[in-house]
Amino acid sequence: MIFSSTILENAVNEFARLPGIGKKTALRLVLHLIKQSPAEVQQFTEAIDRMKKEIRFCSRCNNISDTEVCNICSDRSRKSETICVVESLRDVIAIESTQQYNGLYHVLGGIISPLDGIGPDQLNIDSLLRRIKEEKPEELIFALSPNIQGDTTIYYIQKKLQDKPLRITTIARGIAFGGELEYADEMTLARSISNRQPVDNYMSNNK
Amino acid sequence: MLLLQNITLVQFKNSLHSSFVFGERIVGICGNNGVGKTNLLDAIYYLCFTKSYFSKTDVQNVRFGSKGFRIEGNFVRNEKSEKIVCVLRENGRKECSVNDEAYIKFSAHIGRLPCVMVAPDDVEIITGGSEERRKFLDYTLSQLDPAYLQALMDYNRILQQRNYLLRTFADSPHRDMNLLDVLSQQLLEPGNRVYESRNELLEFFLPIVRELYETIAGSGERLEISYQSQLQTDSFENLLRKSRDKDILLQRTQIGIHRDDLQFTLNGENFKNIASQGQRKSLLFALKLAEFQILLKHNGFAPILLLDDVFEKLDDNRMRNLLHRICVENNGQIFITDTHCERLKETLEQLQVRHQIIELEAQ
Ligand SMILES: Nc1ncnc2c1ncn2[C@@H]1O[C@H](COP(=O)(O)OP(=O)(O)O)[C@@H](O)[C@H]1O
Ligand SMILES: [Mg+2]
Ligand SMILES: [Zn+2]
Repeated sequence: MIFSSTILENAVNEFARLPGIGKKTALRLVLHLIKQSPAEVQQFTEAIDRMKKEIRFCSRCNNISDTEVCNICSDRSRKSETICVVESLRDVIAIESTQQYNGLYHVLGGIISPLDGIGPDQLNIDSLLRRIKEEKPEELIFALSPNIQGDTTIYYIQKKLQDKPLRITTIARGIAFGGELEYADEMTLARSISNRQPVDNYMSNNK
Repeated sequence: MLLLQNITLVQFKNSLHSSFVFGERIVGICGNNGVGKTNLLDAIYYLCFTKSYFSKTDVQNVRFGSKGFRIEGNFVRNEKSEKIVCVLRENGRKECSVNDEAYIKFSAHIGRLPCVMVAPDDVEIITGGSEERRKFLDYTLSQLDPAYLQALMDYNRILQQRNYLLRTFADSPHRDMNLLDVLSQQLLEPGNRVYESRNELLEFFLPIVRELYETIAGSGERLEISYQSQLQTDSFENLLRKSRDKDILLQRTQIGIHRDDLQFTLNGENFKNIASQGQRKSLLFALKLAEFQILLKHNGFAPILLLDDVFEKLDDNRMRNLLHRICVENNGQIFITDTHCERLKETLEQLQVRHQIIELEAQ
């Protein structure tokens, strides 16, 4: 692509760096913005600027947040007796869209996989254990990838909680989850949340 | 009944674009060294297993200088037609489909089109390291039981993670024993599953091998085969627990079904050390034909048999007996390669079964 303007070229290149955006799409987006009023474009760039500068991670659950504590954690109408453990923010969004879950979350930031250099220390596991000690929830629901590494993560955390009077469950694991959770349709996901089963059961069922 | 009716290869190994129609149950493929006989058998094998019998990576299967390959074959399985397509795209993505429906997991295809290959280098099963014998067992069992394949894949994945963790222990002051214990715990279920399946199979598999060996090799030779696994001495759980310190020291998992082996003895001596080339070949055939028989019994129809250069190194009598057994006493589809067209034609004529000869020429 040959441009008559370096400014235009820069803008197109910036857009093209985004995942899933090629040069052609980038050009279309830039041309669209050129046609808009300065105020509209400013609103757009400010939103992006603020997003990066002001966004925070909730000190309680590591969810993305505007404030010290996210709006899920600070919502008094939600049941603080259940904590749903997920890999990433995308999983929080997917589960929230089902409108079937009314407890709190804890975002691990991944799952244990020594091969990929991810040990327990790289994940928000310590903060989860601390949280459980302080908040004394009744139930911990795991919503992790239905694979070996997901299992490793569940068993590892469960092992650390053996002396706690806490129900540990996992959502039905037939469906695509973790990174693919956003593709699971809401009905299936909602059903798998209500059909959760004790981890002990899950382990012995697997045998 | 399982029959391959035709196959089309595009940029697979030395083939640019070639199609073959198979009109008979017995197909002889002949031509000079290097024309692509083995490659054609491998393409058939590929459609049955979604991978090559010979090459470890798919890149090796792409014709030099090309990008990507495609293999398409039309099978008839229990009177239903099944079109199988395996494609390696230019970007390196692989896709396999049955009747135009793409597989999400290729492992789901294993066992659907049972197939047994016999290739010259397979004597490695007898003379090579223990992994060759485990691989042979695993391919047989995976075709009989998809749950076995799943357990094996899980086991290998967890083993990899565990070994990797053990290696990180070496250069880190902080060793997460909890994580090691979790991975050990996770190994138990698939490990025990694999052990039980191997045990169960070998109980009736080994007598068949012994009997086949005697028929092929002639009488008077006492072949013994035994399954050897550490799990025979104690529970996997106990063994793993006991070897934990050693595992940490050696940075590898010392215990498990990844150490299993088969031991062959002939008249009380280690087979590998005393057997002649002919005896090795006889044992190889006994193993492969036992696999053939078990798959036949399991499916109710014969697997496809791919015989690559089997005429080499086996005397005429043994060969004719074997071929009679395979071609006349079974009704499965058989592909046989040979460098000598005349020899192949003659042999198949003598068997008095309907057959077809494909003469390959240099491309
Ligand atoms: N990826 C590849 N691209 C091109 N040629 C290949 C490839 N892999 C193997 N070959 C060629 O195929 C030929 C061997 O074919 P093969 O089927 O083994 O012959 P044979 O008829 O002796 O069994 C060799 O000449 C080899 O160089
Ligand atoms: Mg060959
Ligand atoms: Zn929060």
